[in-house]
Amino acid sequence: MAGMQAGEKFFTENIEASLDRLYSAAMRLTRHPANAEDLVADTVTKAWSAIESLQDTERFLPWMLRIMTNQFISAKRKAEQKIWHEAYVEETEVEDAGFSIFERLHQPFLMWWGNPEQNFLDQLLGEHIEAALSELSEPFRLVVMLSDLEGLTYGEIAEAINVPVGTVRSRLARARGQLQKLLWQHAVDRGLVATPQVEADE
Amino acid sequence: MSNTPRKMECEEAIRLVLDYLDNELTEIDHDAMEKHLHTCRSCFSRMEFEKHLKGKLHKVESIEAPQALKDRIKKMTGK
Repeated sequence: MAGMQAGEKFFTENIEASLDRLYSAAMRLTRHPANAEDLVADTVTKAWSAIESLQDTERFLPWMLRIMTNQFISAKRKAEQKIWHEAYVEETEVEDAGFSIFERLHQPFLMWWGNPEQNFLDQLLGEHIEAALSELSEPFRLVVMLSDLEGLTYGEIAEAINVPVGTVRSRLARARGQLQKLLWQHAVDRGLVATPQVEADE
Repeated sequence: MSNTPRKMECEEAIRLVLDYLDNELTEIDHDAMEKHLHTCRSCFSRMEFEKHLKGKLHKVESIEAPQALKDRIKKMTGK
């Protein structure tokens, strides 16, 4: 961004509109209101001093989220003297990584009584998504949040969590499978979808 | 060189559908996917489902930042 003054002006004008999104992301990361507030404040401090490195003002929020994720991971590393070991995350077998709600619901032929995929989506509320997200492991929750909720590109996520783009791609695929399994389980528990016979037989 | 997109089968289309929706495929794969989706109803339905599910995730409502945090940030930026 050209010039410190222009950067600070842009920052001041845009930060307020981004605060709810930043706080929401911080809550999903820390799961604690006071820690989330501190994380947002630390992120704003860091971003304010680095505003000249913002290259695309259209990507202000993704840029802030990248800084926030970096801050979160560094703080965690400091506090716990460790962070998830990347190789461990990649090598760990994830149950249900290939799970697909669509495959559970889809009927190859049109049915006169409706569309089960659409019914599922219609009944899926934000609170169900938040509940399923909170059950994901931290590395998985992070990539789903940055990609699906916040719309960061794989390249931006790779920078935020400091792994190669290929790792983002594979981790996201496994995280989404697990998220779909959790959403499915919640829907079954609430009686919103019929448990197919095949599942009962498994 | 031919401009005809390469052929994509269902297995590959299903594997790449989320990368397609994330706009993260190479141009060649993207074109092959589009061509496949035009001809395969099952993969098209799968893509539509994943697209709507992704849309639901994107629309999860934000949590309003507490007033104390808003005041703290205003103080920091001198606004």
